[in-house]
Amino acid sequence: MSSVLDVVLSSAFLAAVLRVATPYLLAAFGGLVAERAGVSNIALEGQMLSAACTGALVAGYSGSVAAGAVCGVAVATLLGVLLAALRLELGADAIIAGIGINLLASGATAYAVYTLLDDKGGTSGLKSGTLPTVTLPGIESIPVVGDVLSGQNLITWLAFLVAPFVAWLFYRTRFGFHLRAVGEMPDAAASVGIPVRRVQYAGLALSGALAGLAGVFLSMGYVSFFVRDMTAGRGFIALAAVFLGGLRPWGVFLAALGFGAAEALAVQLGTLDVPPQLVSTIPYAMTLVALAVYAWRRKRRGTTTEVAASL
Amino acid sequence: MTTTPMTAIEAEDRRQYRTTRRRDLAVDLSMALATILAALAIGFLVMLATGNDPVRAYEVMLTGPLDRSFRVGRWLEDATTLTLLGLSVAIPFRARQISLGAESQLYAGALAAAAVAIFLPLPAVAAVIVPMVAAAMAGAGMGLVPGSMKARLGANEIVATLMLNAIAVRVYDYLVNGPLKEPGSSAVHSKSIQEDSALTPLSEWFGIPMGRANVGLGLMLVTAVALWLLITRTPLGYRIRMTGSNPDFAAYGGIKVPRVIEWSFVIGGAVAGLAGAHLVQGVYGRLEPGLAGSLAFEGIVVALLARNNPLVVVVAGLFYSYLRAGGDIMEQQTDVGTEIVVVIQAVIVLLVTAQALPDLLKRRIARRQVGVR
Repeated sequence: MSSVLDVVLSSAFLAAVLRVATPYLLAAFGGLVAERAGVSNIALEGQMLSAACTGALVAGYSGSVAAGAVCGVAVATLLGVLLAALRLELGADAIIAGIGINLLASGATAYAVYTLLDDKGGTSGLKSGTLPTVTLPGIESIPVVGDVLSGQNLITWLAFLVAPFVAWLFYRTRFGFHLRAVGEMPDAAASVGIPVRRVQYAGLALSGALAGLAGVFLSMGYVSFFVRDMTAGRGFIALAAVFLGGLRPWGVFLAALGFGAAEALAVQLGTLDVPPQLVSTIPYAMTLVALAVYAWRRKRRGTTTEVAASL
Repeated sequence: MTTTPMTAIEAEDRRQYRTTRRRDLAVDLSMALATILAALAIGFLVMLATGNDPVRAYEVMLTGPLDRSFRVGRWLEDATTLTLLGLSVAIPFRARQISLGAESQLYAGALAAAAVAIFLPLPAVAAVIVPMVAAAMAGAGMGLVPGSMKARLGANEIVATLMLNAIAVRVYDYLVNGPLKEPGSSAVHSKSIQEDSALTPLSEWFGIPMGRANVGLGLMLVTAVALWLLITRTPLGYRIRMTGSNPDFAAYGGIKVPRVIEWSFVIGGAVAGLAGAHLVQGVYGRLEPGLAGSLAFEGIVVALLARNNPLVVVVAGLFYSYLRAGGDIMEQQTDVGTEIVVVIQAVIVLLVTAQALPDLLKRRIARRQVGVR
């Protein structure tokens, strides 16, 4: 047991947690924005995957990491708009349309990589590079904190800024107020003149963009290439974090961070003779239990706001 | 049922109802066909844009699966699993429960079937049936968890089923790599099932090589008919349909909605469990890592394309597997990657889910007919 504690308390482990949690944080906030706008974005997975693939391919061919990142995020944003259009214009079920977008992303990315590079596995044959790391001046001299924070990728820093940003957006801006109103009661929002559709389009575009950042991090930060289906269910975990976090920015922040920590721990414990597959089920089991407990408490209290009912 | 003579008005009503129904069916069928054609057309354009020869690719894809008997077998074997998975989600979908849990139910079923078929010595016929029953029960149990959470507590079934999938996949992976791994084997898989437990391959019946296709195909057809009867001809089916179309009205009419929701999950789970049994007893003969691949999500596509009608699910499943099988052959014989099939599938899903399209069409036709009268 003491060896487990040693691992958990090491600064290398904490640095790994930040790295592993980055895509969860970004995608979870993407999911949160969509959920609060009243449309479940189950397409987070596909948006991440498309962004990861586009980012690596564009960066590889153009030689510009920045261009790759921008194009990756743009593609994911477009997929967010596509989901919004299907939902709002054609009356599609958001969940099923999301499944369709995920399928599309999985097929199209693999097809593109195979067509361009004649490689089934990914873009490891293409030199695409990674986004720069950021080290604040002077931070390395601080013990522990310096070791944990220095050399983290630019997107990891962004991921941790997203929580205060979304909290500010939700509770301090007109757009955030409109977004929450639209999500809770679209008819009431429309009756006071809030442009419901435009707000939902904007919400889903932002949601896609955040998922896109998560995807770009995977192929241009975490590693420096795209691997087929490299998101490996992270979009779904992010969605779980949205619900585990109770649809509130700081709750989602903690949940996503927790999932990152659990995954980093599963990797570390693999070296300590504990089956890693079983350790990695912990976040899912926790979410399942939390889901049941929330639902039970809500039922007992008998309060049902529109957002809570959608949990 | 007592038969009283119909009044003229009743007869007229009935005729009108039948015409409406026939028209809606015709619209549904032509929409399904149009959807498929549109998706194939988009696939055509994608191949053209990426510098491939779409005519040759489609030729191979659409004729390939039939040109040798073992390829037919490969198609039917895949169709059996896929259709069972489509059926398994069609039932909860009918009660308007978005269950995405077929994956977890399939793995539970596969584990149960394998545990019985590997370790429990049984007499001849029982050796086939008992593992399947165990698989159906395990799948049903796996379905009951999100079903009860939704029905009794109101917990979101989408999140619950996704979490259970993630857990089941990992536990399965652990078991196949650990406790159930065949001792002394370098490859990762379980011990083979006992010979008596295997589903008879179709090759034995027809005397031609049919790959791994087996009598599970017949089982799938029977399941589809049974589920169709259940949905259209039994009180439970009626309750499921009522719950799906309007839960408040169903509850008002005395239907115990939570119980109906649970049943829809349990039945769906049992069928997904059977899909797991088919993979273990019919296809692989043992537990393999990543048994189901992406089949569970594609089952959802099949159910959607068939609008959750069990008999149509069979047709959709056969069609879908045909595309999958054709895609693999296409990749071997041309430069086009089999992934184009996934793109085509995705386009189908997106078109099918655009509910407004067929409804718009139906309304327009109805309006025109009223205008004529």
